[in-house]
This record gives sequence, C-alpha cells and structure tokens, in this order.
Amino acid sequence: MMRMETFSYLPPLTEDEIRSQVRNLTRQGLIPGIEYSAAPQPRDSYWTLWKLPFVERPAPDVVLAEVDACAAANPQAHVKLVGYDSARQGQVVSFVVRRPA
Amino acid sequence: MADSSALFAAGVKDYRDTYWQPEYRPLDTDVLTAFRVTPQAGVPIEEAGAAVAAESSTGTWTQVWTDHLVDIARYQAKCYRIDDLGSDDRQAICYIAYPLDLFEEGSVANVMSSIVGNVFGFKALKALRLEDMRVPVAYLKTFQGPPNGIQVERDRLNKYGRPLLGCTIKPKLGLSARNYGRAVYEALRGGLDFTKDDENINSQPFMRWGDRFDFVMEAVKKAELESGERKGHYLNVSAPTVEETFERAEYAKALGSPIIMHDYLTAGFAMHQSLSHWCRRNGMLLHVHRAMHAVMDRQKNHGIHFRVLAKWLRMAGGDHLHVGTVVGKLEGDRASTLGVIDLLRLDRIEADPSRGIYFDQDWASLPAVMPVASGGIHVHHMPDLVDIFGDDSVLQFGGGTLGHPWGNAAGATANRVALEACVKARNEGRSLVAEGPAILREAAAWSPELRVAMETWKSITFEFDTVDTLDTAVPAALKGAS
Repeated sequence: MMRMETFSYLPPLTEDEIRSQVRNLTRQGLIPGIEYSAAPQPRDSYWTLWKLPFVERPAPDVVLAEVDACAAANPQAHVKLVGYDSARQGQVVSFVVRRPA
Repeated sequence: MADSSALFAAGVKDYRDTYWQPEYRPLDTDVLTAFRVTPQAGVPIEEAGAAVAAESSTGTWTQVWTDHLVDIARYQAKCYRIDDLGSDDRQAICYIAYPLDLFEEGSVANVMSSIVGNVFGFKALKALRLEDMRVPVAYLKTFQGPPNGIQVERDRLNKYGRPLLGCTIKPKLGLSARNYGRAVYEALRGGLDFTKDDENINSQPFMRWGDRFDFVMEAVKKAELESGERKGHYLNVSAPTVEETFERAEYAKALGSPIIMHDYLTAGFAMHQSLSHWCRRNGMLLHVHRAMHAVMDRQKNHGIHFRVLAKWLRMAGGDHLHVGTVVGKLEGDRASTLGVIDLLRLDRIEADPSRGIYFDQDWASLPAVMPVASGGIHVHHMPDLVDIFGDDSVLQFGGGTLGHPWGNAAGATANRVALEACVKARNEGRSLVAEGPAILREAAAWSPELRVAMETWKSITFEFDTVDTLDTAVPAALKGAS
C-alpha cells in the first residue's frame, strides 16, 4: 500500500486537523508551501510547485484556501503541504493533505 | 669525565611548582578539560591536579637536561582551577588547559593519546575520570565532522517533521542471509524507515557479508516500491582490516544503499575517521554504534564520560550515534543524556552543571548528529520518547517491533501509528507527558496492530538505579580561576 511519509499511517486528516497542523507550522515562523504530483514516486524530490512558497507567511485559512484551489485544479493529484525553515536552510515539515478522489 | 658534579639541576620536583597555575586565564584557543581526580592518601589535591596536567602534556617524573632546550611554558598544560567535591575520598574536579600546539590537526587519535594516555595509570591517583572537554573553534576547524548532518539526511531520505523509526534485526546471530532479508523486508514494509545490523554481525560462517548485503538490499528496494517511501538498512561494514572495511562500504554503495554502519570505538578513531571522509565523498549516510563505551563511561570515578566520547564522534564524523534511551532498560541518567543530545545536535551549548556540562561549546557550524534511542523500548514509551528526543532523532525498537504477536510488519505498523499519533497530538498543542496514554488509546481504537502491541507490552518496565550520578550542587570550595 502506498503511504508517502509523515501522517500517512493515520486516518485522513479532517479539515480541522489540517488547520491545526498549519497553525503549528506558521506559529513556528516556517514558510508554508504546496506541492502536487499525479504520479508520486519514492525517489522524486521535486513535485510540482503550486504557485511559490508563501514567503509572506499568510494566515492558516489563506494556506488552506490555496490547498483547496490546488486540489480543485488537479483532481488526480496528491497534494502535500511543506514547511521551510530559513535558519536551517531546508524543509522541516512535509505531509500529504489531499489524495485523489 | 672526571668531574662528578651535576651538569644541570637533576632530580624530582613537585609538579605543582610548574603545573598548578591558579592565576592562569585560559585562552580561546586552549583545549580545556575537566577531570574528576581521586588522589591517593597523602597526596595534596593541588599536586594531583598538577600531576594530571604534567603527565598529559610535557612532564616526566624527573628533570631531564633536554627540558632546557624547550620553552616548557609554551607547551605545558596548566591546572588552573580545582573544585573540591567534599567527598570522603577527597574527589575534586580539576580544570586543565592545553595549548593548541600540543595536538595534530584533525586527529582525535592524537587527542586521546595525549589526554587520556598514560595519565590514567598514574600511581599518585586512586582514580581519574575525564568529565568534559572544551574543543576550541580553531581546532574544530581542522575536522570535517559528520559526513552529511541532520538536514542533509532528511533531504536525502525525504522525511520531515517527525523522528525516524528503526529496528535491529533479531536474533542477533545465526540467521541465514535470505531469512535475514525476509525479516528486513517485513519490518520495512510495515512502516519503519530503517532496519539495522547488530553490532556483532560482521561476516561470520552462518552469514557472509556479501550475501547479507545482496538479500537486504533486495528487501529494501521492494519495500520502497510498495510503500512509496525511501528506506534503508544500516549495513554494518565493520571488518577485520581497513582494506576489508572499505571493500564492504564500496559494495554497499554499488548496491544503492543510502547508509552504512560502523562501530567507532572497537574499530578505532583513525579507521572511523577515514570511513567518515569516504562517506562525505560518496554521499553515504553513516550510522555509528558505540560498542565498548560502557567499559569507559560507566563508573563515576574512573574512565571517560560518554559526553566526551560523543564529542569526539562529532569531530571524527558520524550521522547517527547511539545515546541510550532514558526510559529504556539501559543505564543512562536523564539529565546527563539530554546534555549529550544537545552536544550532538546544537551549534552552541552553554555550560550547565545540572546536566554535567562543564564548558560552553561552540561547534562552529560542524554538521549535527542524530541521536539514536535504542534498547528495551516498546510502544508504551513512545510519548515519552517523542517528548524527550524531539523530531531530530532515530527511535529504535528491536524486540518492540519483532516481538509483536502478528509479526514484524504489524509490529512496525504499531510503532509507526503510535509515533504519528504522538507527533500529530504534540503539534496540536497536547502534552505528551500528561496525555500520552490517552493519545495511544485513541489511536488503538482504529489500529488493531497498535492495540495488540499495547496489550503485549503493557506492564514491561526496566527500572534500576543508575550507577553514575551527577554532582549538581555548586562546589563548596573554589580554588583558582573560574
């Protein structure tokens, strides 16, 4: 069974649960970003970027609206939310928030 | 020569005349050490501290004429502070400063031969323990350090925002290569990130290393394809000779393994450092085991504290290092272990006697090491482990994975579910310490693998007193510079 990393062994997160995780991400000052892929592979580091990482660090609801927009435009894709830490110069958060219908 | 008068001031003089210098102010470039010194009866503590400084630097038991050809003041170590611990056996912490010129660039082996060399058998001491060492930035800059570091490892493995999960394959000895690969495959497909060779698995008659590497990598690749996740197995390349160690490392790379494993204390620092450099050149992660550490670090009054062995590993290089668990069955005082974890992961650590850290340590951007929690832990420990170790760690459940009544895959799933439930709850602001059991029960309501694991290990604890303890009280009598 395809899993795809953090939180993929839990039941699909509800909207409230995703909002809570996004809030935790922005509370730490991380930069949220959205990526999607219709054919995820374990060795693929670069899913397609949805817009650009949101360097203005918008409120959680803005990030969630972008997730919805990405999923609506790419109904066959997995969508993941990532968090960038500029001090560590890397991602520190990454989990799938939408799976294909 | 007919004249029998002395040609120089021969004889023995007290070490403290030369090596006890309470007015000395350490330089930023000095290597500093804190030794726990237990002097023999009748030996004054200043003489004992000075003797340690002398015997680990320029001193010899008697005066020699060639002393006069050297600027001893430039090369000698100085005992600059002594804290009496007030014990019946007159233990004291002696602080010693070593000038940088005493050590070869980039050589942990040289540091050890100097600082923990002959002095540990010195007759005027009952016992001696190296508690901590401050490595100056100027010296650190001559070391490569960890081949990859935590962030590069996460990027290579595509794993973010949670601790990694591992498992040592058991039984430790006797499985054939093909059966061993089966155990690896089952654990990885169930949800682990890593499986691990035991430290004493090298290349024995029951399973030669080449066969093990072949079957294990088949298992790793199959589990990756099925799960969509990157996986690895710590292929132990520890071998009888340097040449064979590199042969095994090269073969692991040829098979596409992302990680190899090495035992740094039994193999020795020169071997380990060469392998660490090879790993940097070859993009290979390096998992480091610490067999033999307790021979050196377990007794409170003699040996080398593990925080020093851990610092030396960060200098020599390694991406993972075993540190004990705090909650599991093995020895490890909580505050002291937390101090070691910080020394491995942070770029700057402040001195903190309550955690056994005697010196500020600035790592000058040397990459960080992931601490590995391993030994006697099971799923009920998960909330505490996530709370103590945080995300940048590897949690390793051996029996706690393979001992699941439904097998390795179910055991792995139980641990992965428990881990993710804890991380999710923590991110939501819940307390893992206060709500840990409730968080696990909630997840067990929908995960039968977790429910059965919790039932299996519900009352297993390993609680013994620690042999080593910290001196947290502020020392009564301070002598010398602070």
